[in-house]
Amino acid sequence: MNIVKYILLCFILVIMIFPLAWMFRVSFMPANIDASFENILSGEFVLASYLDLFRSGNMFIYLFNSFFVGIIVTLGNILFCFMVGYAFSRYRFVGKDIWFYSTIFVLMLPAHVVIIPLYLMIYKAGMYDTYWALILPFLVNPIGIFLVKQYIDSLPPSMEEAARIDGAGELTILFRIVMPLCKPALAVLAIQSFMTNWNSFLFPLILTSSESVRTLPIGLALYQGHQAIDWPHLMAGSSLAVLPILVVFLFFQRHIVSGITAGAIKQ
Amino acid sequence: MKLRQSTGILLASPWIATFLIFWFFPLLYSLFLSFTDYRLLKPSYEWIGFDNYIGLFSDPAFIDSIKNTFIFVIGTIPTTTIIALLLAILIARNFTGRTLFRSAFFMPSITSMVVIALIFANLYSRGGYIYLLAKMLGIIPPDNGFLLSNKTALLSVMAMDIWMSVGYYMLLFLAGLKSIPIELYEAADVAGAGPWRKFCSITLPLLKPVTLFIIVINTIKSFQIFIEIFVMTKGKYGTSTTVYFIYESGLSRFNFGYASAAAYVLFVIIAIFSFLQFKLMRQEKIG
Repeated sequence: MNIVKYILLCFILVIMIFPLAWMFRVSFMPANIDASFENILSGEFVLASYLDLFRSGNMFIYLFNSFFVGIIVTLGNILFCFMVGYAFSRYRFVGKDIWFYSTIFVLMLPAHVVIIPLYLMIYKAGMYDTYWALILPFLVNPIGIFLVKQYIDSLPPSMEEAARIDGAGELTILFRIVMPLCKPALAVLAIQSFMTNWNSFLFPLILTSSESVRTLPIGLALYQGHQAIDWPHLMAGSSLAVLPILVVFLFFQRHIVSGITAGAIKQ
Repeated sequence: MKLRQSTGILLASPWIATFLIFWFFPLLYSLFLSFTDYRLLKPSYEWIGFDNYIGLFSDPAFIDSIKNTFIFVIGTIPTTTIIALLLAILIARNFTGRTLFRSAFFMPSITSMVVIALIFANLYSRGGYIYLLAKMLGIIPPDNGFLLSNKTALLSVMAMDIWMSVGYYMLLFLAGLKSIPIELYEAADVAGAGPWRKFCSITLPLLKPVTLFIIVINTIKSFQIFIEIFVMTKGKYGTSTTVYFIYESGLSRFNFGYASAAAYVLFVIIAIFSFLQFKLMRQEKIG
């Protein structure tokens, strides 16, 4: 490892982390102080912006909505992707190939084609501006199905067969025997699904309109439009949007990386 | 065996229902809408044939949005791919601090796009750090910051996008590098090949599949650029992209038929590009 390479890497490192570091720093600045170099380096650290966000404003509601929707969608994905992945791996049924290709199709499909009709459908179904609109269409996703299917493909079916001979029902086999074996795949799936949902923007933007069901990214994007920009508050809200992802990332980095590269290597 | 059949369908039904209701039906519905004059507050709508499509191609706002989208796609994808590859090569081997660098490079790509766009909106603005840095380097920035000028707004969004996504593609390249058998390099060493020769004759050819995969997914993603534009410029200063145009005409002016037609034009463009890239991928596999 030569020194030139280290210097180059450190230079890139600074470029990559500066914007996020800047965000955290500004979120601790007192309001009405400009983010000049002197103030950033020597200025004081205060929690005022965070306290303001929780005391007034809707940031707390947005944060709650993001967690609520994120957790429900993640639980749904764990259950449904597991069921579907298991079916694709172990069962034979009519149209199996077509349904499997449909997952690849959706993975490749640009989401913008469905936003207008989805908006109209959700509206007509009376789900516009409710949690249902943010949850129902996203309870199962193709990447999650792939993850589970690939994992079950690699498991020997002998345990299931033994249980079947012992007279265990299909549901018992599914949830008592196969599901515990799939824990590693389900962990990757849960993290991937939570992070995708947490950062999701386009669908929540078009499917909701009132403050009470808005998620954090939408709240932040529109906050900027309403008030004259008040950076410490905006960056405090942004920090709250980044923090959970950062925590998940620090603890589960290996799962995240394997979730991302699993699809790429198989191709 | 009959029982297993129905259990299989039952287990797969959450996906089958989601696919049919939330993807397949909207896809057809959208196609149908694109041939109508459906808009909000209009009691009935009529079949108007290709009028929406004809209208689009004489609408300067739409043509501009297509042009901007292409500039974005063509400008970012090669740059992102090359930088991602270089980063992957830089940290491919094990060394002290490797995980730290990898995590830091990757971090922006899992951060919320809205947050990134907000941060850069400040950094690019008059008096923001990128603005000041440009001045220090002797580049004269536009008076009101990079995002409020026709010359630099789109370029600035592109630069941010490259910064944000290189780490993600770097990870894919790293996985690709890892799958190259070490014996090939050892054989090359025995044959007396230098590092450059090894890179051109072993690394690059064997990375072709992963490179094509990266280009395919990045193409589909980049054609749909929207959040950055929504947060940073609202489509002004020559940055309106096609998905932003669809959003504007469909969901702020509620011109559903027209917006659906625009969505289908972009869909066809993306489909053609993906198809060509897939064909290229096939050829690689056979060849």
